[in-house]
Amino acid sequence: MKQRHLILSSFLLILSCLGTARAEQALGHDLAPLPKPTPAPAFTLQDGDGNSVSLADYKGKVVLLNFWGTWCPPCRHEMPSIERVYKDLHKKGFVVLAINQTETPDDVFIFTSQLSVTPTFKILYDKKSAVAGKYGVVGLPTSILIDKHGMMRYRAIGGRDFNSPKVEKQISSLIKEK
Amino acid sequence: MQTTYLTRIATILFGLLIGLGAAGGACAKTQVTVHKNPKSGMLSWTATDDGLSIKLVQLLPDFVRAVYAKHNLPAKQYNEVAGYCDFGTILRNTSGKTLKYDVRDWRAVASGGAVGRVKPKSEWVAEWRKAGIHYTWTLFPDSGTFYAGDWQQGFTTIKLPHGTRFDLILKWKIDGVMHSGRIHNMQCAPDVTKGQ
Repeated sequence: MKQRHLILSSFLLILSCLGTARAEQALGHDLAPLPKPTPAPAFTLQDGDGNSVSLADYKGKVVLLNFWGTWCPPCRHEMPSIERVYKDLHKKGFVVLAINQTETPDDVFIFTSQLSVTPTFKILYDKKSAVAGKYGVVGLPTSILIDKHGMMRYRAIGGRDFNSPKVEKQISSLIKEK
Repeated sequence: MQTTYLTRIATILFGLLIGLGAAGGACAKTQVTVHKNPKSGMLSWTATDDGLSIKLVQLLPDFVRAVYAKHNLPAKQYNEVAGYCDFGTILRNTSGKTLKYDVRDWRAVASGGAVGRVKPKSEWVAEWRKAGIHYTWTLFPDSGTFYAGDWQQGFTTIKLPHGTRFDLILKWKIDGVMHSGRIHNMQCAPDVTKGQ
């Protein structure tokens, strides 16, 4: 009996060790619900063509803000998955605003031309990180999911697989809300 | 017969467990693995403890200079950062609960007894602002509230000379309860430009 217990304990310990090692490398597969939804701060930024884009333009849609930079490895890693979920859901009322920090459209063009999946969502330029500051973003990537009423509902610090079923479900549930 | 068989299995499993422990510290409090990058020769430490996983990778001063030069920081500023003991740091909340950390609670205790503090990002940024620099990224944030699944990476800067060996003492909170851990025998990257 003691030996069975010993074997079971050993197995559990080994699995726990291996599981922890794997978790270290993986992108997350869901967004964290914010304990207290608060209004998303308003902003206006320019896109790569110099057009002004405001958060207010997307009232009534579910908006994913993704704060990122081309030098940031997890930002680069997660971007194709953002494009895939955007393609799946944008016709249902889902918008992505990828807010680049401090770089130029030329920097971003070089980066996006190297991706296997070219982003079709909007990329905006926060040259002095003023909008990141408004949202309390201190590290990249940080993503915030905003509901149709302009309330911040979910947040992710660090890279995520946005194409995972769980994230798609989280976004879809906000799209279905009235 | 069955007892002997079970004893053998138990022995093998324990051997495997001890092997894992030898490779990376026992799977107990502050489980640490050390890895040497075969190409760069740089060392990294990965530690897991109550609800936290942290990886610290040695950064050569020249690498740090190159990163900040790319972001147009003047030589005075990037040389100051490169003069610290710098690590690429990845911190992950593995608790499923809310994790809070503040690098001001962390300490590096050198083998000779000297204590190095982690210089918070906000102090660097304040100095850079005075010099008219608005760039604020790449450094590991001073503090954070991580919900389940959150993680973050950036450079941590410790005030110790290059090549110093030290223990890093970490503190963090899970749902308001303070935890601490110690990573033994870490080492600052050498300054190869000075022949260390």
